[in-house]
Amino acid sequence: MIRKHTRRAAKAAFAISFGVAIIIGVFAGAARSSPTAGPTIVIGTKNFGEEYILGALYQQALQAKGFHVVNKGDLGPTENIQTALTSGKINFYPEYTGVIVQDVFHKASSASSARATYNEAKKLERTKGYTLLAMTPFYDTDVIAVTNATAKKYGLKSISDLSKVGSYSFAGQPECKTRNTCLVGYEKQYGIGHPKFVAVGSVSAYTLLDQGKALAADVFSTDPPLGKNSKYTVLTDPKHVTGFQNVAPIVKASVASSAGSKFAATVNAVSAKLTIPAIVAMNKAFYVNQESAASIAKAFLKANGLL
Amino acid sequence: MTAAGPVIPNFGKASACITDNRAFCWGWVRAHWHDTLEPHLIQHVELTFVAVAIGFALAFVLALLSHRFRRLDQPVAIVAGLIYTIPSLAAFLVVLPIFGISYTTIEVPLTGYSLVLLYPNITAGLRAAPADVLEAAHGMGLTRIQTLWRVELPLAVPAIIGGLRIAAVSTVSIGTIAAIVGGKGLGEPIFIALGAPHPFRTEIYAAGGLVVVLALSLDLVLVVTRRMLVPWTRA
Amino acid sequence: MIFDAANTHAFLEAFRFIADNPGFLAHKALEQLELSGAALGIGAGVALPVGVVLGHFHRGSTLAIGASILGRALPIVVLIAFFLTVLGFGFVNNMCALAVLATGPILTNAYDGVDGVDRDVVEAARGMGMSRFQTLARVELPLAVPLLFTGIRIAAVTVVATAPVAAIAGGGGLGDVIVNQAGYELKGVLGASYCVMALSAGVWAALLALQKAMTPRALRSNRRPSGL
Repeated sequence: MIRKHTRRAAKAAFAISFGVAIIIGVFAGAARSSPTAGPTIVIGTKNFGEEYILGALYQQALQAKGFHVVNKGDLGPTENIQTALTSGKINFYPEYTGVIVQDVFHKASSASSARATYNEAKKLERTKGYTLLAMTPFYDTDVIAVTNATAKKYGLKSISDLSKVGSYSFAGQPECKTRNTCLVGYEKQYGIGHPKFVAVGSVSAYTLLDQGKALAADVFSTDPPLGKNSKYTVLTDPKHVTGFQNVAPIVKASVASSAGSKFAATVNAVSAKLTIPAIVAMNKAFYVNQESAASIAKAFLKANGLL
Repeated sequence: MTAAGPVIPNFGKASACITDNRAFCWGWVRAHWHDTLEPHLIQHVELTFVAVAIGFALAFVLALLSHRFRRLDQPVAIVAGLIYTIPSLAAFLVVLPIFGISYTTIEVPLTGYSLVLLYPNITAGLRAAPADVLEAAHGMGLTRIQTLWRVELPLAVPAIIGGLRIAAVSTVSIGTIAAIVGGKGLGEPIFIALGAPHPFRTEIYAAGGLVVVLALSLDLVLVVTRRMLVPWTRA
Repeated sequence: MIFDAANTHAFLEAFRFIADNPGFLAHKALEQLELSGAALGIGAGVALPVGVVLGHFHRGSTLAIGASILGRALPIVVLIAFFLTVLGFGFVNNMCALAVLATGPILTNAYDGVDGVDRDVVEAARGMGMSRFQTLARVELPLAVPLLFTGIRIAAVTVVATAPVAAIAGGGGLGDVIVNQAGYELKGVLGASYCVMALSAGVWAALLALQKAMTPRALRSNRRPSGL
């Protein structure tokens, strides 16, 4: 009888003290003390492989030079990560120059070159208190892809050829539906009709193309499936609706200045090495070889003496 | 741009199993256990324990209160039922702007669901004492607290553990959705694998398998615990 | 800073969102009911007969209990991902994933319902000359209706409330709005969530009414404690 009470008492006491301990632990963990080495760089990335790799690259390179870095990881599409940036949850993330101009600041694409787009983006970000560090050599634009069979069937070479197809389904990320650099721009500039939009959510658009659930899909130019011997045809975009899309890290101006010139130099050194072949190789390692973004970044930085 | 182009390391050629996306590639699992599967498994275990522990503590207090003040039971039960209908996806997305990307964002909804699953079972357990036993206790001169401690709580153990089983397993399950708001837990490898140009089956099955094994293990541990605490009751 | 103005606004603006998009939301809700109904149908189609037969022969209680545990242990995300790799993207894979979710409560309750019928009553029926099948159909099933229906009700609400997750793999429904915060903003996400909650509550109430209607009059005064 006494043993049972002791057990029950122990059980209840354990549960409650466990709970209390957890609560204390959670709050203690949340209020972690920040180190003395300059400001903490809080990195975020968007929700696809290339961004995970970029985040890992910048994080590891900065950590190697003694900066304190926290990588918050996948924060979702542009709209969401912008909110995280402006609300101060992060102070650094790699963004595409054209996206900054057209989707963040909703300006029509007037720039005619990568450099011009970068300069415009830099000017716009400065008005909000953010710095744009150097841009990468590589660019990654949205492109419309169809399967080779589809391209042959309808004679599709350029985006405007899509008007030849009757009614069809168009797959893309949910935010593509309302973007100037995506569906809205395609419809306005090329008159591709009003296809039924299929939001892909967590699944890749290539899966839908393969299964015939969509005729055309909005994908990225540096995707591994578009590499050599591709099963897909990319439709040309002579009007540059999707803009020029080199990557440039957005950093909160106050953080950039207090982090010093070594900070900018470290980040720019990494960016300078990111050519199209480099990024395509890394994307392939991620999506085809199923390596982790962290290990890919580590291998690349090591090979280039940045780690 | 600086002088030479970058050195592109050879990332190696993945095994045919991986490039063909065959059903299950043990090679990948072995290679990525430490950098992908294990960390997320540990996160998942942590998330579950915190949610169930706090949920239990809160549900226990609420149940004791309703046991003492019977009129509380109906309103609390209704609120609990309502909370259960909140779609888990929405619950996480709604808490996200309040607490940002953090463990708190994940734990608040998980604890809430855990609480509402435990509350009915604890209250049912507390009521499990047969009327004549309670009368006997009263007749023996036990106070209310003594009755609670020596009679009602011990008799409530099977129901409480039953509730803990449901809560633990459900929390492990709902925890997979948490990856949408912060990349923690075993849901994250699943989402990443789903988003690949061809959904990577091995990662999905491996992470999914771990979730199921974790849930069933917790269930087993609790069943064994019940056998130890109250060996005379059957399933 | 925890509850800043923008967030609390969204909770209220969500109602405005619902008022502004009734047709769209109704269409989405219908999509979700379609998916849920199909899943429930398959789940019940499999689980009801199995549970009833097992309960009648008083065998396989481990299976019945195990089904519920397994149903809870299989996260919807894992199920959806699994069926996606096998069946592709769209309606069917999500229907199967949700159907698996539905089988647990239905099977367990079907088993409990038929198994728990008073043995004396069953013996009396057999003694009166009824065959096994007649006993099942005329005695055990009607007496099991409360538990059977409770299982279906729990499964239905679980499926309807979980269906939004299917939007990550082409399932459609109100989930399409919930996962697309970029397109619909927080007020849209909340508005769609309120709709899902209302839908779940509606399904619960409708099935409860149906259950009351189908319970044999003699049993109606019986108040059985149910979990939810």
